Amino acid sequence: MNKNKRKILIVEDEFVNREILKNILLDDFEIFEAEDGETAVELLESKKSDLSLILLDLFLPKMSGLELLNIIQANPELNNIPVIVLTSDKELEVQCLQYGASDFISKPYPDSSIIKARINRVVELFEDRQTIKSTERDALTRLYTREYFYKYVADEDKTNPNAEKDAIAIGIRSFHIIKERFGTSISDSLLVRFSKRLKKLMPSISGMVCHLEADTFIVYAQHFEDYEDFIERLSQDLSLDNESKTPIKLQIGIYQNVDKNLDIDVRFERAKIALNKIRDSVVKNYFIFDDKLKEKELFEEELLEEFNAAINEKQFVVFYQPKFNIQGEAPKLASAEALVRWKHPQKGLISPGIFIPLFEEKGLIQQLDLYVWKEAASQMRKWQEKYHKHVPVSVNVSRIDLFDPTLVETLLDIVKENGLETKDLLLEITESACTEHVDVIIDKTNALRQAGFKIEIDDFGTGYSSLSMINKLPLDALKIDMIFTRNAFTSENDNKMIKIIIDIASYLKVPTIAEGVETKEQVAVLRELGCDIVQGYYFSKPVPNEEFAAFLTAEK
Amino acid sequence: MITIESLRKYGANVDEGLQRCVSNEQLYLTLVNRFLDQNTFPDLKAAILDHDLEKAFHIAHSLKGVIGNLSLSPLYDVIYQLTELLRNRTEMDYSDYIQRYEMSYSLLAALR
Repeated sequence: MNKNKRKILIVEDEFVNREILKNILLDDFEIFEAEDGETAVELLESKKSDLSLILLDLFLPKMSGLELLNIIQANPELNNIPVIVLTSDKELEVQCLQYGASDFISKPYPDSSIIKARINRVVELFEDRQTIKSTERDALTRLYTREYFYKYVADEDKTNPNAEKDAIAIGIRSFHIIKERFGTSISDSLLVRFSKRLKKLMPSISGMVCHLEADTFIVYAQHFEDYEDFIERLSQDLSLDNESKTPIKLQIGIYQNVDKNLDIDVRFERAKIALNKIRDSVVKNYFIFDDKLKEKELFEEELLEEFNAAINEKQFVVFYQPKFNIQGEAPKLASAEALVRWKHPQKGLISPGIFIPLFEEKGLIQQLDLYVWKEAASQMRKWQEKYHKHVPVSVNVSRIDLFDPTLVETLLDIVKENGLETKDLLLEITESACTEHVDVIIDKTNALRQAGFKIEIDDFGTGYSSLSMINKLPLDALKIDMIFTRNAFTSENDNKMIKIIIDIASYLKVPTIAEGVETKEQVAVLRELGCDIVQGYYFSKPVPNEEFAAFLTAEK
Repeated sequence: MITIESLRKYGANVDEGLQRCVSNEQLYLTLVNRFLDQNTFPDLKAAILDHDLEKAFHIAHSLKGVIGNLSLSPLYDVIYQLTELLRNRTEMDYSDYIQRYEMSYSLLAALR
C-alpha cells in the first residue's frame, strides 16, 4: 500500500504551512519537502517523473517560485509534472497559469477538503495524459510501442508513397542466455543502452524504430544495401555491463523494398522470419527475406487456413512409438508415446516438425493437443478391450495447456469417457515449458498428479530450467533428449551428460527414458549407465495403431 | 499552556484553523507554538526602520500566510493591512501598526 502512494513535492519555506499541507495529504501521498528553490531543483533532479505533483509557494528564499516554475517548464523531463501554485496574491494567479501552472490554492488555505479535491483532480488529469503518453513509448526503452510505430509507418507511407523502404528486425544474439546468466538488471541495462544507440542512428538511415518484445527491435527505413556496415555501427563496442564486458553480437533480418500493399504487420513478420532464419547463428549476422521464405510463408498460411478442416476430417493421425524397459532380462514393453502426423489430402504426410511450431506460435496447439489426447485415450480403450493389455500412453501437454484453468477437468473427462484410469495417461511436459511462471506450472503439475496423472519431463537437458526448479517440480520420469543419446558414442562429453541426467533422476527417485535409441550398442550402454526405459528406431519407429497391435500381442 | 479554549478567548478563529488541520487539535496547538517560537516580526520591524520596504514586504507577506493559515484573527487583521501598505512600498509612519501587532502578539504569547 505504502509503496504505491503517489509522490508529491511541497516547495514552501514556512514550516507551519508545510505542516498543514502534509497533515492534509499524508494519508494519500508520499511527501517530499523543499524549503527553498535550490533544494527543490535537486529533489526534482533525483525524483523526476516519479512525482505526481508539485505544490509550489511563490515567495521563496534564494529563488522565487516563478523562477522555479520556469526551470521546471524548460526541462522536458519535468515539464509534464503538474504544478499547483500556493499564493495569496490574486494578481499573480493568472501569471502562474501562463507560466504553466495547472491550478492554484490561495492563502490562507481553504477548507482541507477543498485542497484535497483540487489536488486529486489535477493528479488525475495528469495521469490520464500520462497513460496516453506512456503507451506511445515502451516503458523500459522509451522507444515507440508497436501500435504507435505502425501508425507512424502508415503516416510515413502516406507522406512518401514512392519511397523504397526496408522492414528490418534486429535481435541480440543469445539474449535469453544473457538474461539467464547475468540476470534481468544487466540484460535490461543492455536493452536501454542499445535502444539509445538505435535511436541515435535512425536519422542516418531515415528510419524509425520500435521495441517489439524482449530483444527484438523493428526498424522502418529508407532502402539501403550495406547491412554489414549498419550492424557494425550498431554493435561497435557494445558490451554487457558486467565485469568482463562481454561483447554483444547483433543479428538482423531484412525484408527489402517492401510491398506497400501488404499489411504493415506482414512486412515486419517477413523481417522477423528472415531474422529467425539466423537467430543465434554464429556465422551469419544478417539474412534477407527471399522467395524461398516467401514460399514457406505461403505454405504456412495454407496450413493455418486448413487447420479446422483437418481437425474435423480427422486428417491428423496419431502414431505410437513403443517404450521398452531395458533393466530386466529382456526388454519389456512399458508404454507408448502418441505422436501426431498430418495426412494431408493433397500435400501428403506433413512432418510435425513443420506444423507443431507453427500451431504453437499461432495459438492452435491447444486444439491439436486435445485432439491427440482424445484419440490416444480412445485407442487405449480399444486395445484394452481387444487385447486385455494395460499399456499407458504418453501424450504431449504444451506450455499453453498448463495455463488453462480447465486442464485437469478436461483430462479427467477424457479418461472417464474411455473407461480408463488416470495412471494410463502419461503427460509429457517439455523442460523448456518450465522456465517462466514457475509457480503456475508447479501448481498445475501438482494438481495433475493429485488427480493421479503421471508427469514426464520431455527433452530434459536442453531447456534452461535450473536444478532448483526441477527439484520443486513434481514429476514421475525424466526423458533424455535424443541429442544426448545420438552423440553418446561420438562425444565423451555427451555420454557424461547422460550420466548426469541419470544421476539427477536417481536423486529425484524417478526413472529415466532415453529417446532416439538406434543401435544395440546404445541400448547396452544405456542399460549399463542405469537408464530404465528406451524409445527409438532400434525397437520401432512411430507406427499407426494397427501396427502397434503387434507389440501388444507379442508380449506375454 | 495554550489550549483550544484560550485561543478561542484570544479571538482566534479556532474552528477555521482546526478545519485546516483536519481537526487535529494537537497539530494546531503545536503549530501556534511554533509560530511564536520563530517570531520573524523583529526582522520586519528592523526592515521598516531601515526603510527597506522591499524586504519588509517579503517578510510581512510570509507572516501573513502563516498567521492566516493559523486563523489568528487579531494578528491577521493588522498583518494584512501592513502587507498591503508594504506591497505598494508606501512611505509612511508604521509605528501604529507595529504597536498593534506587538500588542496582539504579546497577548498570544501570554497564553503560554
